[in-house]
Amino acid sequence: MRYFLLSSLLVLLLSCTSQYKGLQKAEGKIETIQKFQPDFTVALYKTEVNVIGKYLSGLLIFKKMPDSSTRVVFTSEMGLTFFDFGFKKDGAFEVYSILPQMNKKAVIKTLRNDFRLILMQHLDSNNLSVKKQDSHIYYGFKNSKGSDYYITDSTGNELLGIEKASNRKAIVKVIMKNYINNIPDTIGISHTTFNFTIGLKRIQK
Amino acid sequence: MHKVISFFIVSLVVLTVSAQYPGFTLITNTAKFKEQFAVAAKKNNSIKSDFTQEKNLSMLSEKIVSKGKFWFKKDNMVRLEYTQPYKYLMIINKNNIYIKDGQKENKISTGSNKIFKQINKITVECVQGTVLDNTDFSAKIFENKGSYLVELIPVSKSLKDFFAKITVIIDKNELTVTSIETSEKSGDNTTLHFFNKELNSTIPDAVFFIK
Repeated sequence: MRYFLLSSLLVLLLSCTSQYKGLQKAEGKIETIQKFQPDFTVALYKTEVNVIGKYLSGLLIFKKMPDSSTRVVFTSEMGLTFFDFGFKKDGAFEVYSILPQMNKKAVIKTLRNDFRLILMQHLDSNNLSVKKQDSHIYYGFKNSKGSDYYITDSTGNELLGIEKASNRKAIVKVIMKNYINNIPDTIGISHTTFNFTIGLKRIQK
Repeated sequence: MHKVISFFIVSLVVLTVSAQYPGFTLITNTAKFKEQFAVAAKKNNSIKSDFTQEKNLSMLSEKIVSKGKFWFKKDNMVRLEYTQPYKYLMIINKNNIYIKDGQKENKISTGSNKIFKQINKITVECVQGTVLDNTDFSAKIFENKGSYLVELIPVSKSLKDFFAKITVIIDKNELTVTSIETSEKSGDNTTLHFFNKELNSTIPDAVFFIK
């Protein structure tokens, strides 16, 4: 019994340890990751969403508007609009339309935060702290609940991934890869705390 | 005086109508049209055609264009096969819907998915000519020289959430559907255009086979 309690305590302590604790201070500039900000003048993606056992597919379009905000619209193959969001440059966010079934605060907040990681409009050098582990460089941007990490290889030429993290662990993991003309060909979003993934594959118009 | 006022009101109504659908005038006696359409729909046992679908994102000034092939066979069998921008297959066979999206296959019983059920019901009803009897919509019929225009406004709240209006254009000669436009509350709309239509060609049931 005592052994069980001790081992439980150990497991509890281990699980409380931050996965980012071993990161060491490093040098780096915001420009290194700013070059990975997608230039969504207009980009169309085949999109698959898996959420708690449910599957949704369709077409997602990113478009930069004349006021330099970015619109994100997701529709079904048959043309029904699932949602239409606007991300202003100053961080403001607007829901232009959303299907009644999806119109829930938690859903909108989750999607907003996920797309924010991809659009990379919120990166501020004042909040930047650069760290490293092995050959990975972590560009961390602090926020009230944790940090957003943009992770590159040691040369800063490849974006290995993005992690939205609490102080202890990654909550959302994003990949953006195979950039063509500053637009990623493949984007993947996955949540670690519940079963929710979004997969985007670019369609050349 | 009374006549003048009536004339003025009628003119105003006609003008409003023409402004809504330029070139079209409202048919007040719909019985004849309904009968004609029902007779034609009875004769049309199958339709095979190509289609283009245009999703118009009004505020973005963008269009998403899809293309594919369409098959319909009585009763209640539809195959919509998108070839562009990517392969996507949807089969409606009676009360079941089968979807193949790349490697992923999905079988949906229409009972379990309200939106799907509605969209597919409307598509099938438009093609079969029974949409005018659907009490979920209030219908108005307009005509010009070559076409009828059927305007469907949803009555129930659940449908109003998805569509502001559905507009169906019907060819006067063949009495078959040329296009279906669904307008959303946001101002966006999607138009399905049917062309290269073949009526009553033999379509094997296997085309609508759901594994």
